[in-house]
Amino acid sequence: MGFDYDVIVAGCGPCGAMAAKAAAKAGCKVAAFDKRKELGAPVRCGEGIGLHWLDELDVKISAKAVSAEINGSVLVSPDWKHKVTIRNKETKGFVVDRKVFDKDLAIDAGRAGADIFVHSEVFDVIKENGRVTGVKAYVDGKPQEFRAPVVIAADGGESTVARLAGINTTATLYDTDFGVEYEMVNVDCEDLIEVYFSVADAPRGYVWVFPKGKDVANVGVGIGGLHTPNAKYYLDRWIKAHPERFAKAKTVAIKGGIIPVGAPMTDAAVGEGIIVAGTAAHQVDPIHGGGICLAMEAGKIAGEVAAKNAKNGTCDRKHLLEYAEIYKKVREPKLLKRLKLRKVLEKLSDDDLNAVFAHLDDKDIDNLLKSNFPAVVGKMTRLLIDRPGLVKAISALA
Amino acid sequence: MIEINRQLCIYCNSCTGVCPALANRLREIKIEHDPEKCIDCGACVKACPMGAITLHKGKKKL
Repeated sequence: MGFDYDVIVAGCGPCGAMAAKAAAKAGCKVAAFDKRKELGAPVRCGEGIGLHWLDELDVKISAKAVSAEINGSVLVSPDWKHKVTIRNKETKGFVVDRKVFDKDLAIDAGRAGADIFVHSEVFDVIKENGRVTGVKAYVDGKPQEFRAPVVIAADGGESTVARLAGINTTATLYDTDFGVEYEMVNVDCEDLIEVYFSVADAPRGYVWVFPKGKDVANVGVGIGGLHTPNAKYYLDRWIKAHPERFAKAKTVAIKGGIIPVGAPMTDAAVGEGIIVAGTAAHQVDPIHGGGICLAMEAGKIAGEVAAKNAKNGTCDRKHLLEYAEIYKKVREPKLLKRLKLRKVLEKLSDDDLNAVFAHLDDKDIDNLLKSNFPAVVGKMTRLLIDRPGLVKAISALA
Repeated sequence: MIEINRQLCIYCNSCTGVCPALANRLREIKIEHDPEKCIDCGACVKACPMGAITLHKGKKKL
């Protein structure tokens, strides 16, 4: 069988670009396709990334890609009476400009030798004898076929490519949040990510203010998929309810997207000749919905495993499952713990949340985020005696 | 089938991700909806963060 490439990557966002770079660095002939003319646009997220990830992923971020440096987070209770500010290594980071950041990653992949096809939509996969052997993509406006022994589906929340290949990645409404955000000017900001919890304002989600500069911020809301009417309704209402801060705010961009917050796919993300990675495989943090760096990590693993097996001629599912095995070691347990926390949080009322917030300090939040639950639950014994209703919800964490 | 308010849509792809029938596809910067594939499940109506999608009962073309 004649192959045009060793590895084909569908989608060239943070995941696809990292996959393409990793495979090219391993000596493979790589092609990455993206339907967009301009990578990174339209932006579909809050654009926040943690500093610690850049070292872990061995990625350098250009000054141009940074909109604002972040030195911590502030979490706010539904009644706004309790604010917990955390400033530590884990909460340091950047709000990036995805239009620059994503392109920088693609530039890295291109420098490593990968072919990048922009404005080139993968509209179908090629399947032969039950295995994926390439993609059909529009390049220069014409439908063309490209063959490779392994395809990495990294096409984000829509996850069309995996599903064309027969892997069910359809997002369920229960395990998915949907978000909208406005990039606004005339919004005073500190160097903190602001997170507002409230069932009334953002059911099964939260409201966020991510600074993009001294007076520019991404102001957004994500809500659980089973809640109505829609994220835009909640965002407009929240902004209107806080004229003291937003009366002079002007919207200069609208962004939105799908946020899978269920369990990450591992074995199920691998098929004959195909690996699904990143948001396409629901590899997103179930608590805060962040997915950029998780996608980069998964892309890197997928690229390395694909490259190795393409060279060995072993792109069957059995060998590609090494990707799932690595993922299960390095990331899945942490995400499953956070999924557990999400499922507790989503049961709490605003009353419960106010009561819990009154008992938490920055160290507790840090422990929660690190999934060190017993330390926090122990501290809340007094609260739990007062509120027996909470016991059942929180005991799931013990 | 569904109707998408083109003036409200921000091409965020939420409707694509939840559609079990792959009836919604993002083409560059326009969601294409295939009424032949649509199974009237309403998932994308709930998913759309902009409230840009409405459900029409029955599979007849507009």
